[in-house]
Amino acid sequence: MFYLRYLWAELTRRWSKTLMMTLGLAMASAIIITIISVSQSLSSAQDKVLNPLQNVGTDIMVSRTVTPDEITSLDDATKEEALADNRITTDFSKLGDPGESFSNDTLMPGSRLTFASSEAEKIDTSLVEDYAGGLLLNVVHQEGTIPKLAAEIEVGGQSIGFSQRFEMSDEDRQAFADAQAKAMAELKAKGIDPNSEEGRKLMFDSMPRPSQTVTGEVVVPKEIVRQEIGSFSTDIKTDNFTLAGVDTSKTAIGLILPDQIVEGRYLENSGEIVASRAYAQDKGYALDNKITIGGKEFTLVGIVEPKLYTMTADLYTSLTDAQELSEREGKINVLLVKATSADNVTRAGENVASLFTGAKVTDSSDTAEEVTGSLVSAANLTNKFIGITSVIVIIAAFLIVSLLTILSVNKRVREIGTLKAIGWKNALIVRQILMENIVVGVFGAALGVGVAVLAIAVLNQNNITLSATIGNSDIGSRLIRGFMGGGQADASVVADVQLKIAYSYLVILLGSLVAIVGSIVAGGLAAIKSSKMKPQEALRNIE
Amino acid sequence: MPIIKASHITKTYRQGTKTIHAVHDVSLEIDKADFLVIIGPSGSGKSTLLQLIGALDRPTSGAIEIHGVDIMKVNDAALTKLRGSSIGFIFQSFNLIPTLTAAQNVEAVITKRTPHDRKRVLHVLKQVDLEHRAHHLPSLLSGGEQQRVAIARALINEPDIILADEPTGNLDSKTGEDIMRILSELNAKQKKTVIVITHSDYVKQFADRVIELKDGKIVATHQHTSHLA
Repeated sequence: MFYLRYLWAELTRRWSKTLMMTLGLAMASAIIITIISVSQSLSSAQDKVLNPLQNVGTDIMVSRTVTPDEITSLDDATKEEALADNRITTDFSKLGDPGESFSNDTLMPGSRLTFASSEAEKIDTSLVEDYAGGLLLNVVHQEGTIPKLAAEIEVGGQSIGFSQRFEMSDEDRQAFADAQAKAMAELKAKGIDPNSEEGRKLMFDSMPRPSQTVTGEVVVPKEIVRQEIGSFSTDIKTDNFTLAGVDTSKTAIGLILPDQIVEGRYLENSGEIVASRAYAQDKGYALDNKITIGGKEFTLVGIVEPKLYTMTADLYTSLTDAQELSEREGKINVLLVKATSADNVTRAGENVASLFTGAKVTDSSDTAEEVTGSLVSAANLTNKFIGITSVIVIIAAFLIVSLLTILSVNKRVREIGTLKAIGWKNALIVRQILMENIVVGVFGAALGVGVAVLAIAVLNQNNITLSATIGNSDIGSRLIRGFMGGGQADASVVADVQLKIAYSYLVILLGSLVAIVGSIVAGGLAAIKSSKMKPQEALRNIE
Repeated sequence: MPIIKASHITKTYRQGTKTIHAVHDVSLEIDKADFLVIIGPSGSGKSTLLQLIGALDRPTSGAIEIHGVDIMKVNDAALTKLRGSSIGFIFQSFNLIPTLTAAQNVEAVITKRTPHDRKRVLHVLKQVDLEHRAHHLPSLLSGGEQQRVAIARALINEPDIILADEPTGNLDSKTGEDIMRILSELNAKQKKTVIVITHSDYVKQFADRVIELKDGKIVATHQHTSHLA
């Protein structure tokens, strides 16, 4: 067909113009596809971090968390509970003699107070689809040589005296009055004045007492306690880490899930332990290593990348093992809850919160507020600028293509004028220009998609890692770390998220449309210009 | 009945505050198979007159009928159709489409396409002795060859009227002669109405009638009893 041959001739014989237009459109298309894909991937990565609960099949998380601000306003029982859950006492006298090696682990729930796991059984099953308990423990590990110059504190030996007076009853008081009257009568009968010194003495000796006072003395037994106080110039090393007990009966909800295991396998039996990737790297752990905690030996069976960023631990064991180690059988300090539907999340939270006092419900909006870092900054940046960048790119591409098309039409004034003079209708000229632009648009789109796919592959190969810092309100952990001088005083969790840029067909279609529609619109403008051109003017311009 | 009839046509242009009379009160009739040459100095209104009688433009006043169609009364689309079917144009600068071959340039003009178009194109190119250059781009053809392609293009729709604006203006005298001989043959053998604008005295010898224009007006008409065949 002639018109197609004419089209092909125009595109191939004016190849530099075709190439410029195609490249301009391809760049616009590629930029649009790439930035939208990057932005969507950032949002997706951000969602994972901002709502870590969904990574572990959870809608809400329930705990009894004590914040530093709240600790003074707690009732006495809870305050005692909080202090007990954070108290570290290292009594060297019980660990051995001075000069001997020792190793000691103290496991504490920290600021997340424990509650009976049986409380969860009262959950309204119409609101809650599933739940899993967990026990997060701060472990302080000390090892070294028992110091010879440990402080010896003598306690006890105090003498405590006491005196107790017992009051008389009314009957005794009446008997006393009767006895007094009788004694007075007897004295008078003997001719002795009861008010004289002799009379008062005789009265006191012969009468019962109106009240009785018991006096005594207790001596506290003396004891010498050998105790660590302050820092020591010995080889005692202190290490602290976090250990989480995981309900291994659940595979779709829990502090960690089987699909988050990146090496080895998930927990199956007692005596097995899983380490977070970061902790394993830090400690140089490998699978099948033995790790002793609280005197119990565990085998490292897996490496995990925990996704519940607001509540990660260094090591994970079964819930039963964690409860035994910390001597808190039947206790948990976090409950992960999956609601039956999105609409029921709030009601499920209320239901669970009502089950025990001091329960605090955390949902996705709470976790989102705790996240900062480059991932959030990058996502916020792209969210802010994606619109304006896309518009600028589209306008720039449109201007380039329009300019090139209109320049081309201007260069073809003689050609268009001649075609009109020799009988080409306006519609035919418009169609021919539009067809040229459609083909250039399609070429541009195809090239743009190719460039974008390549650019995304290159970006993915560069393993761009963005970090998100998630605040950790675990006061216990922070206090312990600060006090012991080990580890970081800042207990916030840094989640590194590798940016995996994915592109959808929709984005590719959108990017392609930018090139094709941009080219058609530019061609349309040029076609309108050429259709308004009068043949005699076109011919006059060049004659 | 004349094939083109112009009655008191005037074409004016505004140039600032001045009104330019490019063509002023011109009347003429051109019959089928006429060979008309229009001469005159630059700015005399020759090209404007050619555009008016070629239905490329409408006069400011007066009337023009081409094949009985009053061009003042029809729209642009009808004028385009009229040009496509009845008038073949030949330009001084050839006006070939640079990206199309000689054959494609001729084919581009075909208004009613059929499966035999390519054969027709080659046939017309053969008429102007260019069959062997059919697949060459204009840039590879000489000026005379390009003008012959333009003639072939003007003939492909078998129009009755051929309008040539300085067809030899960009050619050497030998090539110009060849072109004029072709036009003359078309007039003599195929009874085409040929209207040529020229500065060249040589061209006048081919004409049945020569009209001389000055300041947009016909100042002289020379009737030739015979012309070179």
